Amino acid sequence: MQPDVNVAPLPSIPRRRDLARAHHERGGLVAAVLPIHYPRALLRAFGILPMEVWGPPNVDAARAASRLQPYVCSIVRNALSFLESGGLQIADLLIVPHACDSLQGLGSVLLDFVHPAQPVLPLYLPRNPAPEGTAFLADEFRALHQRLAEVTQRTPSESELMQAILDEEVADDLLRRVHEQRPTLPLTTFDFYHLVRAREFLPLDSFVSLARAILAMPAVKSPPKIPIVLSGIVPEPMDMLRAVDELGASVIADDLACCGRRLYPAGRSRDPFMRLAESLLGGSPDSTRGSPIQDRLDHLLGLAHSTGSRGVVFHDVKFCEPELFDLPVLRRGLRDAGLPSITVEVDLNDAVSHQARTRLEAFLEMIA
Amino acid sequence: MKALGDLRDYAVARVVGPAALRVQRWGNQWRAWRGSGWESAYLAPPLGVAVRGKEMVARHWLAGRYANRDRKVAWITSAAPVELLHALGFFIVYPENHGAICGAARVAVDLSCEAENAGYSRDLCSYARTDLGSLFSGRTPVGRLPMPDLLFACTNICQTVLFWYRVLAHQLRVPLVLIDTPFVYFETAPEHAVAYVQRQIETSVPVLEKIAGRSLGMAKLKETGTLSREAAHLWMEIMQRNAHQPAPISVVDQFTLMAPVVEMRGEPATVDFYAAMLREVDGRIAEGVGAVKDERHRLLWDNLPIWYRLKDVAEMLGAGGAALVASTYTNAWGELADLIDPEEPFESMARTYLYPILNRGTGHKLKTMRRMIDQYSLDGVLLHSDRSCKPYSIGQLDQRDRLARETGVPALLLEADHNDSRCYSEAQVANRVAAFIETLER
Ligand code: SF4
Ligand code: SF4
Repeated sequence: MQPDVNVAPLPSIPRRRDLARAHHERGGLVAAVLPIHYPRALLRAFGILPMEVWGPPNVDAARAASRLQPYVCSIVRNALSFLESGGLQIADLLIVPHACDSLQGLGSVLLDFVHPAQPVLPLYLPRNPAPEGTAFLADEFRALHQRLAEVTQRTPSESELMQAILDEEVADDLLRRVHEQRPTLPLTTFDFYHLVRAREFLPLDSFVSLARAILAMPAVKSPPKIPIVLSGIVPEPMDMLRAVDELGASVIADDLACCGRRLYPAGRSRDPFMRLAESLLGGSPDSTRGSPIQDRLDHLLGLAHSTGSRGVVFHDVKFCEPELFDLPVLRRGLRDAGLPSITVEVDLNDAVSHQARTRLEAFLEMIA
Repeated sequence: MKALGDLRDYAVARVVGPAALRVQRWGNQWRAWRGSGWESAYLAPPLGVAVRGKEMVARHWLAGRYANRDRKVAWITSAAPVELLHALGFFIVYPENHGAICGAARVAVDLSCEAENAGYSRDLCSYARTDLGSLFSGRTPVGRLPMPDLLFACTNICQTVLFWYRVLAHQLRVPLVLIDTPFVYFETAPEHAVAYVQRQIETSVPVLEKIAGRSLGMAKLKETGTLSREAAHLWMEIMQRNAHQPAPISVVDQFTLMAPVVEMRGEPATVDFYAAMLREVDGRIAEGVGAVKDERHRLLWDNLPIWYRLKDVAEMLGAGGAALVASTYTNAWGELADLIDPEEPFESMARTYLYPILNRGTGHKLKTMRRMIDQYSLDGVLLHSDRSCKPYSIGQLDQRDRLARETGVPALLLEADHNDSRCYSEAQVANRVAAFIETLER
């Protein structure tokens, strides 16, 4: 079945490798950044181009087998495999934010045993939502600032840093508007994510232009046939999104750690580090930030109700403890509110199985 | 009617139950003294003090059955700053210890299935699954679990506990106090991390006081800190006695005898218990008694125990003359004793609870293992690759390789799970352990 949208010509997105080369030629550095939350603006203030590494999918996972047990999630295993196979050679430094026990372990293994050519900079994400957590995160950013100054041999002034933050806030705001406008965008689900996920590696100006181009697309009149909410960490393998399109559904809102949970509001403080911390902790509820499950449930229900979604697809990476712990309560809460849901468990290296597709199809038929 | 019920519960919890447990202990002590009931050809009988430890733990759970009647109950993670709660008079329950009891009693899989049927993935920590299953089904080998008035979680062992306690908080509609301890990637924690932990501990006090219905007395907190430090010191001394050859107390015994230092540190009885244990261990050393009768190999154990196969693993190793002499896990409950400063309770708690081995890098664990190999004259390492405990297990492959390469001490990875026996292959473990011991004999 073909998706019921008027597909517009897509703006083209440059390849990561070309972007990195061009950035290097301009004298900048490239940082490979692991999931999930990190201060983009802080990196940009140092002239660093952040390139996020969510897996990536379909790498030779065997490369990590000599260091990580098979019960570690494929995002972490793939990241290590990718690094070990030379895939991150374009990066001048590695940033490893803390999201879960597995990423924590990866950061530690990189620092203690792998010793990659690039410096490894870990970053702890506070789980305590109280003001203490925000103050700690601001301090953590100050420490990162110092490390970046050592690595880059330059120190942006406070006003340069503040300008980088303000510029990034513009991009964040555009991204939020793109997400909000999604129901009327002439894009398939696959294409939507193909475009918005370019935020993970595009230079700021390029992303701002892209977002503006998306917002300027002519609105479609008819709403998608089967609107759904997608929840999880990352929409990989992207084939899953093709399947959604082919089955006549459309992801109309998401609660994905790499997308909808990173629609950061602007911070309020005049202190740049506090402002960054406020922004990063102000995103929607997230298991990896330790948000209460009720907050997550309320958020999911809010997303579904505001977009008229008929169901929720939980697209979870196998072995992902943060997500798997919340899942039963979330599903029960949705069911009690009359919203059906389904879970699809994935490994980044596996194609969407026939069985997963059949289950998805049955689910979509049920809610259609 | 209620008064009668209260009276009955009081009698059971305070009089009849403890008396019955005491009689049971006397019986066990008598049997131990006569040497009856112990059948291992390779292992020495457990320490005599073990029956007292068992009674302490049993008393604790017995009191727990009725704790909701007259105490505020806190469910707490194993390496959380418990001194605060003791000083405020909470009755304390460690769901992880309860999980371990279920594992040792071999009911963990049954209980996990209850959680799995409710939608909890089999890939989640098996302690969490066991305890959630127990909560959903109401079944527990300890009789009855008191329901919490407070959940107190500290992330210094893993982030998993936070996700787990969020589920509990949602299910039970009970306040959750979180002490978040930034992971220590390098040699020392940055000062802003110490300040963050200290601030959280300090700001938790009014919340805890409100639930406890009383104020925190500094004198009481200091006393608790002092007792906690004494117990941890004694525990460390006991473990260090294993530098003697043959080692007087096996790690398998340590696994069961550590319960009081985990769940009752800060209480005078715990200090007395470990003082008695130290005397007995010294007695064994004086008499040349080893935990393994014919100790020929001395091993290090890394990671949690395999609770449902404790005795089998000990026997398997004992048959090959291999004694488990030291472990990173039991060591964790003693190694931070020096950081506890009762005179500076808040700052010292912040430092102490930032530095458990599980909150430190994989390289730090390797360093600890190397040091233990020297300190205890070890000639082999067993690393339990624990399927559902990622924080403890990630890094073990490198640790194994580095130990073998840099110290020449062979190391073996054993695939299992601390509580889920479905992840344990009897034949595979037996074969691998036998082959490993053969390597040591060469
Ligand atoms: S998928 Fe889950 S377990 Fe894996 S890195 Fe992301 S948050 Fe951690
Ligand atoms: S994941 Fe490991 S450290 Fe955390 S509660 Fe489970 S067994 Fe303990």
